[in-house]
Amino acid sequence: MPSLKSLPIAGQQKLWRSLDEHAAAPPPSRELGPAAPPGDATSRRSVLQLLGASAALASFGGCLKPPDEKILPYTRQPPEVTPGNPLHYATAAVIDGRATGLLVTANEGRPTKIEGNPDHPSSRGAVGPLEQAELLRFYDPQRLKVVQHLGQPSAWRDFLRATANKARALRDTRGAGLRFLMEPSSSPLVGELRRRLAAAYPQAKFSSWTAIPLQQIHDGAQLAYGAAYEIRLDLSRARVVLSLDSDLLAAMPGTLPAMRDWAEKRDPANGKFARLYAVETNLTVTGMNADHRLRLKPTHVHRFGLALLGRLGALVPALARYAPLQQRFPLPPESAKFADAVAKDLVAAGRGALVSVGPRQPPVLHAAAHAINAALGSACAAAARPVLHDTDAGPRTLDQLAEEMRGGKVDTLVITAWNPVYGAPADLNFGKALSQVQYSVYRSLYLDETADRASWVIPALHPLESWGDARAHDGTITFIQPLISPLYAGASEVETLAAFLGEGDRTPYTQLRAFWQSQRPDDFAFNWEKWLADGFIAGTATPPETPAIRHDQILSAAMKVAPADTGAGLEINIVPDYRVWDGRFANVSWLQELPDPVTKVTWENAALLAPGTARKLGLRQGDRVDLGLRGPPAHATVVIAPGHAEDAITASLGYGRRGAGEALCRDLGFDTSTLRHTDVPWFSPGLTVAPVGKRARLAQTQEHHSMEGRLIAATTTVEKLKETGEELAESRGALLTAYPGQNYPGYRWGMAIDLSRCTGCSSCMVACVAENNIPMVGKEQVALSREMHWLRVDRYFIGDDTGNPGVVVQPLMCVHCEYAPCEYVCPVNATVHSDEGLNEMIYNRCVGTRYCSNNCPYKVRRFNFFSYTSDYTNTEKMAFNPDVTVRARGVMEKCTYCVQRIERARIDTRLQERRIRDGEVLTACQQACPSGAIVFGDLNDPNAKVRRLHDEERRYDLLHELGTRPRTAYLARVTNPNPELA
Amino acid sequence: MAETAIALPPPLVPLPLIEGSQDDGTLNKTLNAYVWQPPQRGWLALFLIGLAGTGVLFSGITITVAKGIGMWGNNIPVGWAFGIINFVWWIGIGHAGTLISAILLLFQQKWRTSINRFAEAMTLFAVMQAGLFPILHTGRPWFAVYWLFPYPSTNSIWPQFKRPLMWDVFAVSTYFITSLLFWYLGLIPDLASLRDSSSSKRARIAYGIFALGWRGSARHWHHYKIAYLLLAGLATPLVLSVHTIVSWDFALSILPGWHTTIFPPYFVAGAVFSGFAMVMTLMIPARRYMKLKHVITARHLESMAKVMLLTGLIVFYGYLMEHFAAWYSGNVYEEHVFFSTRPRGPYAWAYFTQMFCNVVVPQMFWTRWARRNIWTLWIGSVLVNVGMWFERFNIVVTSLHQDFIPSNWAMYYPTWVDFSLLFGTICFFGTLFLVFLKFIPAVATSEVKELNHELHEGAGMSELEGARP
Repeated sequence: MPSLKSLPIAGQQKLWRSLDEHAAAPPPSRELGPAAPPGDATSRRSVLQLLGASAALASFGGCLKPPDEKILPYTRQPPEVTPGNPLHYATAAVIDGRATGLLVTANEGRPTKIEGNPDHPSSRGAVGPLEQAELLRFYDPQRLKVVQHLGQPSAWRDFLRATANKARALRDTRGAGLRFLMEPSSSPLVGELRRRLAAAYPQAKFSSWTAIPLQQIHDGAQLAYGAAYEIRLDLSRARVVLSLDSDLLAAMPGTLPAMRDWAEKRDPANGKFARLYAVETNLTVTGMNADHRLRLKPTHVHRFGLALLGRLGALVPALARYAPLQQRFPLPPESAKFADAVAKDLVAAGRGALVSVGPRQPPVLHAAAHAINAALGSACAAAARPVLHDTDAGPRTLDQLAEEMRGGKVDTLVITAWNPVYGAPADLNFGKALSQVQYSVYRSLYLDETADRASWVIPALHPLESWGDARAHDGTITFIQPLISPLYAGASEVETLAAFLGEGDRTPYTQLRAFWQSQRPDDFAFNWEKWLADGFIAGTATPPETPAIRHDQILSAAMKVAPADTGAGLEINIVPDYRVWDGRFANVSWLQELPDPVTKVTWENAALLAPGTARKLGLRQGDRVDLGLRGPPAHATVVIAPGHAEDAITASLGYGRRGAGEALCRDLGFDTSTLRHTDVPWFSPGLTVAPVGKRARLAQTQEHHSMEGRLIAATTTVEKLKETGEELAESRGALLTAYPGQNYPGYRWGMAIDLSRCTGCSSCMVACVAENNIPMVGKEQVALSREMHWLRVDRYFIGDDTGNPGVVVQPLMCVHCEYAPCEYVCPVNATVHSDEGLNEMIYNRCVGTRYCSNNCPYKVRRFNFFSYTSDYTNTEKMAFNPDVTVRARGVMEKCTYCVQRIERARIDTRLQERRIRDGEVLTACQQACPSGAIVFGDLNDPNAKVRRLHDEERRYDLLHELGTRPRTAYLARVTNPNPELA
Repeated sequence: MAETAIALPPPLVPLPLIEGSQDDGTLNKTLNAYVWQPPQRGWLALFLIGLAGTGVLFSGITITVAKGIGMWGNNIPVGWAFGIINFVWWIGIGHAGTLISAILLLFQQKWRTSINRFAEAMTLFAVMQAGLFPILHTGRPWFAVYWLFPYPSTNSIWPQFKRPLMWDVFAVSTYFITSLLFWYLGLIPDLASLRDSSSSKRARIAYGIFALGWRGSARHWHHYKIAYLLLAGLATPLVLSVHTIVSWDFALSILPGWHTTIFPPYFVAGAVFSGFAMVMTLMIPARRYMKLKHVITARHLESMAKVMLLTGLIVFYGYLMEHFAAWYSGNVYEEHVFFSTRPRGPYAWAYFTQMFCNVVVPQMFWTRWARRNIWTLWIGSVLVNVGMWFERFNIVVTSLHQDFIPSNWAMYYPTWVDFSLLFGTICFFGTLFLVFLKFIPAVATSEVKELNHELHEGAGMSELEGARP
């Protein structure tokens, strides 16, 4: 009962039946959002507003019937929802404006797993770690939940009211002083809204910002072709690839199809074997997979590229005019030898040649690559119009905007870009400039650094709870459909923009549908359903063009590049982070605990430097140093990184966060913004390093990097394939034994992992975490070697050169030994063998003696040292896969070969009275793997792919001599070195 | 002949087992005196320290059970560490009691008489410490407490009989029960003697209950002797079996450094080694403060030093053989453990501590001087106990932290909870021992009296023999 004091005595207009009803908050409406901030706790019921195929949505409070916004499942399902059976929906994740088609699993209305959409050109069924982690970001309890106005909780309708007033004033001034700072976007709907906003406010300006822009790619195309283009890679036709700082084999936005194509080129069974050269500063995933790798200081990479162009000038008539570049850019002997060999190899490869340049490199190098690819007639690089609305989304534009802001020319600023205050180079001082804007609106998932300075902060809707569209990396129009009604009162980008058009009451769904109806009116109702079910509109990729190369401009730009070395000083090298990208994923524990694919560091970034440089500077692993570049120092921890170029230090973006709302990532690692400058955002000489005399303990999941001469991750070359096969014959199959073998008459599950295909991108690890409810344990526990990943990706350095070693990666999870050492040492029979050969773990029976782990030669078992899941909030718990037990403290766990997926297939096929077919059960890691390195199936099926791989000459069993008879077989990695560089 | 016997050099003349001229009365008085004295200040001080340390132990246990094994330093790959090290160490210490009581009895070694009670009590208390760890080191002790025992549960799941830790449960519990019975049986005549000499009624009733109505009749003695001999026969195989089975906990695995056929004899020898060292460590101060020097003489200490020297050499042989087998096998994993990880790895300091304490230190007992010097004996025995602890550290932690696949190699660092459990069990052990010293004669009075008679008779016999023409 509310007290009578709280009741207004006069001016009463509302009818009420009881004091409770009177005092209760007004019912929320879908259009205006709740009037008061909702409570922190979200009950299961409130989010179980099942969308699915059922027609009506539950109403929110009887005030307004929510609009009918039908989402459509990917495959045809019965019209009703069967509890316990998941549904799949096609949607997309958009990172820096490019969409990756996804297939999201929903259990009883809550999304639980993100997988790739097999039909979507940007995914082809694969998915990277970032896209998968969107799930946990969606359920993040630290997300911003209510609209904030000047730091105080407010409501969406208050914002709408204020914006309506503002908009009226702005219309009078024709939008002078109105600026939009947007996420790089390819969304046709956003494009349409921008056009309409531009019409309503002719003097308003739009710009885009991301910390990882593609601007130099576009600038390079501008130089080479006279117009902005981007390159569509087609590695399926590649024979010789040169990567100039281009990380095309890491599972990052836009690279998934490239990885699949490349994997096919690295399988000896597929005939012609491709070759990869990498020229880069820090060891990247692509560098780990290169046959030859040249490590150069960052400012030398483009000079190397131009020198290469000069060499090609002597070999290719079409490039003859570039021959002088060879003299202009002299190379040291090692680089010269490398360049000579690469030049010859590229020419020999002809249409199979490809020079790929990373987005951090200056435009002239991109232009040079266009010249080379065009002259060699490369079939692997096609120019196409950019999919983004703004080709320039880097510090240059942001600088102009900040200048205007400081000059008082900006009166209203709408930011939908991710966190420019954090991501902008420090010399831009964007945060201060933002504080000077009188009316600023920031739409964000979290209360981050930018939210701290914006007057209005609107909680963003996560893509899993909102409607939208975007283009894939090749331009294919892709749809985003919500899997669940919004967890919190947020707004999508469309709604935020529409507020300035006075359309705050139109839902994004209405906008989207109306837009596409106007675009493609023919047979719309039918098509719309198909598009949503498929997730994209087939055949909408932007066509490749063949613009003419402007050789003269390229040559003159190349001749303007200073040939001289910038000196012997240290250089800084800033790179995107494999786990948190530019920092937007920093609050996602799945990614924080994902070891960096190269350094195996978790929960922070570090200052990476070569062993030689470390010796020279007197630094050891774990030393704390101050890095300085024309500004205040960044406090970093040293990690010695074999394969790194000498005299350079690499740091990744996305750490050193200070946002108020992001408790998980706050103060992890260090912020690189003071090392970035508007003119040199990626690399620059003049770096200073000062040890501060302290040490830090890193949480690295792998601390020993040599195989100690053991046969662990086997590697060979194309030439030696035959011999290696014969040698490996000793390391596969049964050992001599007196015991009668066990018979497996039914299914005999097994796996094959092709090390030749695996790039080490670690997407499989995130898939495993999501599928199997694996808890994240935090930095301290990882430092104590207690991480819980069932699947790990080991990375070994090979060869004698610690400066530039060879690298081999090896995913390792439980290999399901037929004679499992873990089983006979369990005193309580908690780990036993199934009649299909699975090594099963019975959590309920486990008392946790840990002997099974001690006796496991692969050390793939994981122990719940604490109750790692007990502090999960109810929201986070919604991400759990209901088919997998959440393990208690004191219990051992490990890879199950995704037994829950086997059982689901068994149920389905038993109803149909047939055996499970090959490919019907995909383990989570296999499903996510962009390069098809993991294959699972029934070894009793002679036609199964896994059976064929088990019979390959490259196959071997890990630790074969122990007689464990693992069901997971490995296929030796094959490299294709150039004899000239041997 | 007699002249040659007299001309024998003094070292071969054994020192007396009982010093001075004693009779039943003096022995009764001196050996039981400590029980009737009011607690001395030193005893009280040690007892309070022990109690405080026991408090630390139970805090450690509480926090382990409440929060999880994560409070320890264990990780993956080092799944076992202090818990199992302490278990094996305490079980090993618990070996001397049965050996002294049973095997030396069967071999009719007279010098066992004055120290067997002491050693048996130590065995019981050590096994009690050891018994804490197998349960405590599990992730879910509340289930491990009974799931390890075979009982017909409704879901018909039995323990895994193939697994040595399962056998451990039987071996250790059998050993404890047998040792307890053996100790108690030996106590009965002394309890009766205490009952009879007690001055307060309370003590008389208390000792009377435990004396089980012993009256010292010939019939009683007859049955008593048979029972004692039978239990000795029963306990003898246990001396070998318990630590053999404990060694199988390791030897039956496939881990390099554990998977070794030499483990059973080497573990048994190591156990006796450490057990004697612990008896020595405790006995040297006790005999001084409890004024027992006349029955626990230099002869006893010297005999124990000899046993330590012998078992120490067997242990050394074990070390050599492990390394030899690793080299001879040509197995890279074995070679890595014995030639890289242990002597040159990050835990090399533990390896060399072990080698110094267990191999170098006992060599001083080749000299009579060291065997008869209280300080060398005491320091030597303490070092052997330290060395044996580190031996188990090397077996458990050093083998685990670098095994087959280098990517999973990791270091292990103990936490304060680990140390509190080790320290706490030492205190708990000490507390129990102090209680034992206070309430029960630390020396088997009846047996010493019997020995005294035997010696005098024996002396008489030899005099007679010497007089024979």
